[in-house]
Amino acid sequence: MDKLIRIDNLHKSFYDGESELKVLKGVNLDVHKSEILAIMGASGVGKSTLLHIIGTLDRPSDGSIFYEDQDITKFSENELTHFRNDAIGFVFQFHQMLPEFTALENVVMSRLIKNSKRGSSVDAKSSDSNDFYETAEKLLDSVGLSDRLNHYPSQLSGGERQRVAIARALMNNPKVVLADEPTGNIDDKTSDAVLDVLWDVNERLNQTFIIVTHDSRISERAKRTVQLIDGKIAE
Amino acid sequence: MKFEWFVASRYLLSRRKQSFISIISVISIAGVGLGVATVILVIAVLDGVEHGLRERFLANEAHVVLRLVDHSFFSEYQDKIERITQVEGVVAASPVVYSQMGVFQTGQKSLTDAIYIKGIDPEQEDKVTSFSQYVSGSVDFKTSPLIEEAELREGETISGGIVLGYRLASQLGLTEGDVLRLVVKLEENTMSMGSPTLFVDFANFVVIGVYESELAIYDSRIGYIDLDTAQELYGNLGKVNVILVRLEDSEMASELRHEIKDAAQFTTTFEYPTTTTWLETHAPLFAALKMEKIATVIIEALIILVAAFNIASTLIMTVMEKTKDIGTLRTLGASRGNITRIFMIQGSIIGMLGTFAGSALGLGLCWLLSTNVARPHLWIGFGTVALLILCQIVLMYKRLIPNPKVKKIGLSLLWIVGICFALYCFVTPISLKELGFSEIYQMNQLPIKVNWFFVCFINLLSFVICWFATIYPAWQASNLKPIEALQYE
Repeated sequence: MDKLIRIDNLHKSFYDGESELKVLKGVNLDVHKSEILAIMGASGVGKSTLLHIIGTLDRPSDGSIFYEDQDITKFSENELTHFRNDAIGFVFQFHQMLPEFTALENVVMSRLIKNSKRGSSVDAKSSDSNDFYETAEKLLDSVGLSDRLNHYPSQLSGGERQRVAIARALMNNPKVVLADEPTGNIDDKTSDAVLDVLWDVNERLNQTFIIVTHDSRISERAKRTVQLIDGKIAE
Repeated sequence: MKFEWFVASRYLLSRRKQSFISIISVISIAGVGLGVATVILVIAVLDGVEHGLRERFLANEAHVVLRLVDHSFFSEYQDKIERITQVEGVVAASPVVYSQMGVFQTGQKSLTDAIYIKGIDPEQEDKVTSFSQYVSGSVDFKTSPLIEEAELREGETISGGIVLGYRLASQLGLTEGDVLRLVVKLEENTMSMGSPTLFVDFANFVVIGVYESELAIYDSRIGYIDLDTAQELYGNLGKVNVILVRLEDSEMASELRHEIKDAAQFTTTFEYPTTTTWLETHAPLFAALKMEKIATVIIEALIILVAAFNIASTLIMTVMEKTKDIGTLRTLGASRGNITRIFMIQGSIIGMLGTFAGSALGLGLCWLLSTNVARPHLWIGFGTVALLILCQIVLMYKRLIPNPKVKKIGLSLLWIVGICFALYCFVTPISLKELGFSEIYQMNQLPIKVNWFFVCFINLLSFVICWFATIYPAWQASNLKPIEALQYE
């Protein structure tokens, strides 16, 4: 199986005044293309920290992360921002939707950001951006929300918001989608529906997922599950 | 619409949750707007005063006044005038006997006032100032029928006609046809024995017209008589003590004054000519007006600065309220530059809306204050405001318009049109005459002159100040770390 991400001896420490808190103590992990990898572990063990570092939202204290042989730990702030926009999709526990924008606008947002970086003259409401909106509509349709396009987050249920977040994560056709407790804030029935969507996307689009979770149902369904114990990965 | 504009405009217009911030945005816009409107209006008034005074000064005064240093009379003035008019840039010149005379009112045995008397040739004077234009009555100093009538009525010799400033005439209680007794000379009689006595030379004039220039300094102090009569009264036949000169361009007065003096050719010993320009005469007034304008601009710029601080605090609050959103946008790949631009655009829109609204209000008020047309009664204005409040209350509590967007736009339009109409009813030109200020301000109506260059300048200044106010909050927003922003509670 093709390797997408290689994590090499990753360390992360936090400093509180004079004391040092070592959270990750030499994480080594490979993530393969098209797999759903579940990372499990006790609360406070550093699962989210690891996910944030993989997602370029935070920098490691030591070690390397290779995306198809590109060491992203060497990237500048600007390069990381570009990389995040291009290659990574996020799904968070609390969905992190933008409340002033409709479901459709939330989904299309990352593509608008991508365009603004490339200095494109395509604007958010021009006919040229219709393609983006069509893509976003298709994505929302694929997660079962074709009738909720113009609803604001406050008008959606928890499960619907999480499905919008999944559609948003897929908008820029990322290399990997990182999900942090995607079912942590919704009931079991809704969780099943959200997980069905994730697995469906994985099958249809061969989309790679890394899911940090406590939810045993995810680990049961995931192709591969690893445990984070005492700052290290145990397969 | 670019991404940053898309997000910024949505943050500005959205009223979800952060209605408090929306209200502050409106207050910020109003603050900037009022600052801009006030400065436009105040400067329009000051410019109007300056422009009005200039126009009136130029209509009533010569651009250059030529006289001798000791104010004495000089001869061959017609030759001098001929030579002066040959100077390039000179339009005309006129001879004047300028003096002061005491007023001796009938029934009173003492001098009641002293006034300035200008002995003029109306024909020549009209080429230099707009004398006849401001006179109601006659300027026929020698042959007005009123002179003969007065002679017959009073049984006294009348020296000629006099045109009085209308305020002066009113102060002295004189109207056309009345006789004014002036003290021409007051000399010590050195021939008398014992205690010194005074030799008083009177002259009677008939009021044949009144002069209304709207400049109190002329209307309340000066009387015009015939040049020949003045020369005769002072025993200076063929002589004058002032030559008034009009130029093609009043602003050239300083440049041409020396040429005019040289052209006059004062050759006699002890004749030291001097010239005064109209700008010199009124230099303190114009300097005071200029200083007032500078002070106004500084004060108003400070008002706009205060409003800009309001924008900054609005944006800082927005940044705090939007911290999680900033984290989300950064997660989606928005750069620090994107975030900076979003908040700078938001602040700039507030500044721009305030500036434009202020300009519209300021220019609208200028128009209302300078347009003399019949307005609806004040009660119609009050009625409009009452109707607006009633509409607002009814629409707030009754679901007459179900679509909130239509309701919002409709109400906004209703308020804008209503307030404009109410202002049209309330704001009328201000009569300084009725308020009793016309003597102080030298004009009858509050003058308004919009300086378009200044309007553009203040728009730009206001926008730049508001733009600067956005820098810190935008920088603060862009400096948020994505993870910290996402975890912000």
